[in-house]
Amino acid sequence: MTGNPYQDDRGNKDATIANPKGGSEMTPAVGTGKEMNTTDAFLVGDSMTGGYGKDGPDILHDCTIAVNPGEIAVIVGPNGAGKSTGMKAVFGMLNLRQGSVRLDGEDITSLSPQARVAKGMGFVPQVNNIFTSMTVEENLEMGAFIRKDDFLDTMEQVYGLFPILKDKRNQPAGELSGGQRQQVAVGRALMTQPKVLMLDEPTAGVSPIVMDELFDRIIEVSRTGIPILMVEQNARQALEIADKGYVLVQGRNAFTGTGKDLLADEEVRKSFLGG
Amino acid sequence: MDFLNALVALSNFVIIPAIAYGSQLALGALGVTLIYGILRFSNFAHGDTMAFGAMLAVLITWLLQSMGVSFGPLPTALLALPFAILGTMALVLFTDRVVYRFYREQKAKPVILVIVSMGVMFIMNGLVRFIIGPNDQRFADGERFIISVREFKAMTGLKEGLAIKTTQGITVVVAVICVALLFWFLNRTRTGKSMRAYSDNEDLALLSGINPERVVMYTWLIVAALATTAGVLYGLDKSFKPFVYFQLLLPIFASAIVGGLGSPLGAIAGGFVIAFSEVTITYAWKKVLKYMLPESLEPSSLVQLLSTDYKFAVSFVILIVVLLFKPTGLFKGKSV
Amino acid sequence: MSDTTRTAALFGLVFAMIALTGTMQSWNVALLILNMGLISAIMALGVNLQWGFAGLFNVGVMGFVALGGLAVVLTSAAPVEGAWSAGGWRIVIALLAGAGTIVGTVMVRQRMAAGRARNIATIAILVVGFFLYRGIFDPGVAAVEAINPALQGNLGGLNLPVLLAWPMGGLLAAGVAWLIGKTALGLRSDYLAIATLGIAEIIIAVMKNEDWLARGVKNVVGLERPVPYEIDLQNTSSFVNRAEGLGLDPATASSLFVKLNYSVLFAIVLVIIFVMAQLALKSPWGRMMRAIRDNEVAAEAMGKDVTNRHLQIFVLGSAVCGIAGAMMTTLDGQLTPGTYQPLRYTFLIWVMVIVGGSGNNLGAVLGGFLIWFLWVQVEPMGLWLMEVITAGMPEGSGLKKHLIDSAAHMRLLTMGVILLLVLRFSPRGLIPEK
Repeated sequence: MTGNPYQDDRGNKDATIANPKGGSEMTPAVGTGKEMNTTDAFLVGDSMTGGYGKDGPDILHDCTIAVNPGEIAVIVGPNGAGKSTGMKAVFGMLNLRQGSVRLDGEDITSLSPQARVAKGMGFVPQVNNIFTSMTVEENLEMGAFIRKDDFLDTMEQVYGLFPILKDKRNQPAGELSGGQRQQVAVGRALMTQPKVLMLDEPTAGVSPIVMDELFDRIIEVSRTGIPILMVEQNARQALEIADKGYVLVQGRNAFTGTGKDLLADEEVRKSFLGG
Repeated sequence: MDFLNALVALSNFVIIPAIAYGSQLALGALGVTLIYGILRFSNFAHGDTMAFGAMLAVLITWLLQSMGVSFGPLPTALLALPFAILGTMALVLFTDRVVYRFYREQKAKPVILVIVSMGVMFIMNGLVRFIIGPNDQRFADGERFIISVREFKAMTGLKEGLAIKTTQGITVVVAVICVALLFWFLNRTRTGKSMRAYSDNEDLALLSGINPERVVMYTWLIVAALATTAGVLYGLDKSFKPFVYFQLLLPIFASAIVGGLGSPLGAIAGGFVIAFSEVTITYAWKKVLKYMLPESLEPSSLVQLLSTDYKFAVSFVILIVVLLFKPTGLFKGKSV
Repeated sequence: MSDTTRTAALFGLVFAMIALTGTMQSWNVALLILNMGLISAIMALGVNLQWGFAGLFNVGVMGFVALGGLAVVLTSAAPVEGAWSAGGWRIVIALLAGAGTIVGTVMVRQRMAAGRARNIATIAILVVGFFLYRGIFDPGVAAVEAINPALQGNLGGLNLPVLLAWPMGGLLAAGVAWLIGKTALGLRSDYLAIATLGIAEIIIAVMKNEDWLARGVKNVVGLERPVPYEIDLQNTSSFVNRAEGLGLDPATASSLFVKLNYSVLFAIVLVIIFVMAQLALKSPWGRMMRAIRDNEVAAEAMGKDVTNRHLQIFVLGSAVCGIAGAMMTTLDGQLTPGTYQPLRYTFLIWVMVIVGGSGNNLGAVLGGFLIWFLWVQVEPMGLWLMEVITAGMPEGSGLKKHLIDSAAHMRLLTMGVILLLVLRFSPRGLIPEK
C-alpha cells in the first residue's frame, strides 16, 4: 500500500478500464531552502543532496555538476552511482534537500521541469523520449510547441544535422531504428532552441557503430554553441569527446576534470575504465 | 430478379440498419476511446453523458416545436443539437472541475478514476431521470422516409421493398461529418496534435510545454459533442429512454475494445463490427434465403441464429474472440 | 478515538437508524431494511474479497446474484410433471452437444498447425455444431414450454429443501465465475471488467428468454420458504395467544415473526461467511493474496502463481454473491428476472464496498447496511424535501407536480454524491484497511 490512497490501485491490471500506457511518472521538485553557491558556470547544479519522493533515502550527496557554453560535460560512473539521478536533479525531477540549480546566473531550484524547459533547458530522457505514434515531423513540431514564432528554420537546421530524419519525416517515429529514434529525440529537444541541452544516456541500447555516429552528431550540435550535459554508460568513448568529465560514485563527486585528464588518470582508469 | 430481390431484402433488413446502428456505436466508442487515451480510464458515465445530451436535445426540440420552429423535412432535433452540445459541454466541464481535476492533481491511478466515474454515472443517471423521468420520449418529426417501401416497389418493380428512414440517412451523414472533423482536428491542428502527443507520452508532452489542463479541457469538449450527437442520433432512430443509454455502455465499450482502446480509427471499425454482427446474427434470414435457394430447399423456419434478446451476447462473444486472438484490438490501441 | 470504538460507533449509528425507523415508521419496514441489509452485507463481502484483497474489478455482480436466484428455482421448486420426458433430456443433450462443439474446437485448434486448414476446420466445426445444437435443442424447448404454459412450461426443480439452494447458488455462481476467470484473467493485462459486464447482461438475457429454464419474464412465484407462513401462524392458537400477550394483533405479529426468522437465518450466514473470510485472510493464503496485490512482480518472482490465485479469489467472491442472490430470491419468494438491473445489483454493491472501506471486511459489512438503509430511506426523505421545497408553490402547478413525482429518482443522485464524497474526503472508506 502506498501512502497516497489515490495511488493505490490494488494491483489491478485490467487494461479494458485503465490505460497503462503513456501516463506521467514525473514528480516535480520543490525548492530546497538550503542554497549553495560554490561554483560559477552557465548551468550549474550546486552541492545537490536529495533523493526520490518526499522522504526517500538520499541518493545524491553534495554533488556538483556544471557546464559552460561550447562545452560537452559528461557524467560517468559505475552502475547505481546516481548519474541519471544527478541529471534529473538538475532538471528538477528530484526532491533536493540541499543545493541550488542556476541557469545563466538565475536560481531555478524551485521551478518545475516544464518551467525549466521554458527557461531554455532542453532535456532528452533515457527512455520514452519520442512520441512513437506520431510522425518524425510531428515529433519535431511538438518539440517546438512552446514557441510562438516561426520554427521552420529550426526544423531545417535539425534536418541539416540529422539528414536521415528528413527522409523519414512522414514515418511514425516508433517505426524507426534505435539510433534514428535517438536522433528524433535530440532533434525534438533542439526544436525549442534551448540554451543548454541535457542528454540522459543517448547511446543506451544502440550498436557501437551507431554510437560513434551519434557522438559525431552530438559534437556537431555542440559546435553550434549549445552547452551539452550528458550522462553516459560508455565511459571511455564519452570522455574522449568530453571537455569536462564528472565521475560519480555513490552519489558523490569522485573525480572531476577534463576528459583527457580523466582518461589519463591512473586511478580512474583502474576503477572505471577497466585498466 | 430473385437475386435482386434477395439483395434488396438484405439491404433493407440488415445492411441499412446495421450501418445506422454502427455509426451511432462508433460515435459513442470514439468518446470512450478519447477519454481512455487522454484521461487514461474507461468512463462508466459515458452512456449517461449521452443520455444527458439527448435529453437536452429533446427538451430544446419541444421548446422549438412549441415556438413553431421547424426544420422542414428534417427533424427539429438537428436544430436543437448545437444547443444540446453546448449544455453537455458545460456539464462535463463542470464535472471535471468539481470531480476529476482533484484526482489528476493527486496523480490518482486510472482505476480510481474508474470508480469515480461510477459516482458520476449515478449522479448523471439520477439527474436525467429527475428532469425528464424514466419513460420513453419521442421527439422525431419531419419526413419519416427518404424512400418508402411503396415508392421503391413502384420505382423498381421488385417484389421486395426498400425503405430508408430519414433518421438513418441523417445518422450516416452526421456521423461522417463528425468523424471527418475529428480526424482533421487530431491530425492537422496544433491542439489536436498536442492531444495525440499527450496521449502518447504524457511526460514528454509536459517537457514540450503542452499544458495538460488545456488538453484535458479540449478532450471533454470533444467528448461532450460526440456523446450528445451519438445520443441524439440514437434517440431519433429508436426513441429516447434513459435506461437504454445506460445499457448501450456494453456495446460501446465492446466497440472501443474490439477496435483497440485509444485508437479512434479502431473505435469506428469496432462500432461497425459490433453492429453488423449483432444485426446479422439476430436477423431471421428466411426472407433473403427464399430468393437465393431453389424452392425444394426453401427453409421452413425463420433461420434466425439467435433471438434478438441476445444481441448483447453477440457483442460480447465478438469481443472475447477478438481479445483472445488480438489482445490489443484490431487497431493496436496506441494513442489517440 | 481508537479504531475499535470508531467501528463500534459507526455500527451503533447504523443500527440506531434502523431502530429509529422501527419506532417512527414501522417495525415491519425496519426489519425489511435489516434483512436486505444482511443480504447486501454478504454481497459486499463478496465484492470486497475480489476488489479489496486482490484488486479484481468485477462489474458483473448482478449476474452472479441472478444465478443464485436461479439456483433457488432449480433446487427447491417442484419438478414439472412430464417435462423431463417431454423434452428435458433433449435439452440436456443439446447443451452437452453445444459444450462438446466448443471443447472440440479448442482441441482441434490445439492439435492442428496454424494455417488456413485450421481456420476452415474451426469454422466448419462451429457451424455444424451450432446447427446440430439448435436441431436437438429447439424441439425439446418447444415440448417443455408447451406443458401448461400459463402456469408452468419449464423444467421445474429438484424439490429439495430451500436452504440447500443457498449453497447451490454459490456453486452455480462459482462455476460460471470459473469459466469467465479462465478466459479473462491471466494475460499480461486482464480484461475482467468488460468480461463481467458482458456476462452479467447475458445471464440476465438467458434468464429472461429461456422459458424452459425458469419461465423467463413470466416469473416463478410461490417459492418454498425456510420459515413458517404468516397465515399458518395466525391460525395457530398458541401463537395468537402469545402475540396478544405482547399486545400485538396476530397479523402484525406473524409478519414480524416471519421477518425475524429470516433475520436470524441471514445473520447466521453472514457471520459464517464473515468469519471464514477473516480466517482466510489471516491465513498464509490470505497473506499471499495481499502480497500479490501490493507487489505482483515480487510475488511472481518468488514463484507464486498469480493467475491461479486471482482465479481462486474471483471464484470465491462470486460464489459469495451467488449465495446472497439465492437468499434474496428466497426472501422474495419469487424469481423475477426482469427486475435485475446493473445500477441496483452491481454498482450499488460497489458503492457499499467503497464507502464501507475496501480491503476491510467489517467495512464492507457496514457499507452494506448503511448504503442499503439510505437506498431505501432516501426516497421518503426526498419526498419530504420536495414537499418542503414546493410548499410555497401554488397548488396544481406543473413544476410542483414534476418535483414531487421526481422525488423517487433522488436515490440515484444521492448514491452518486455519497460515493464521490467518500472517495474524495475519506478515500479508504469509513472503516479503512489496517
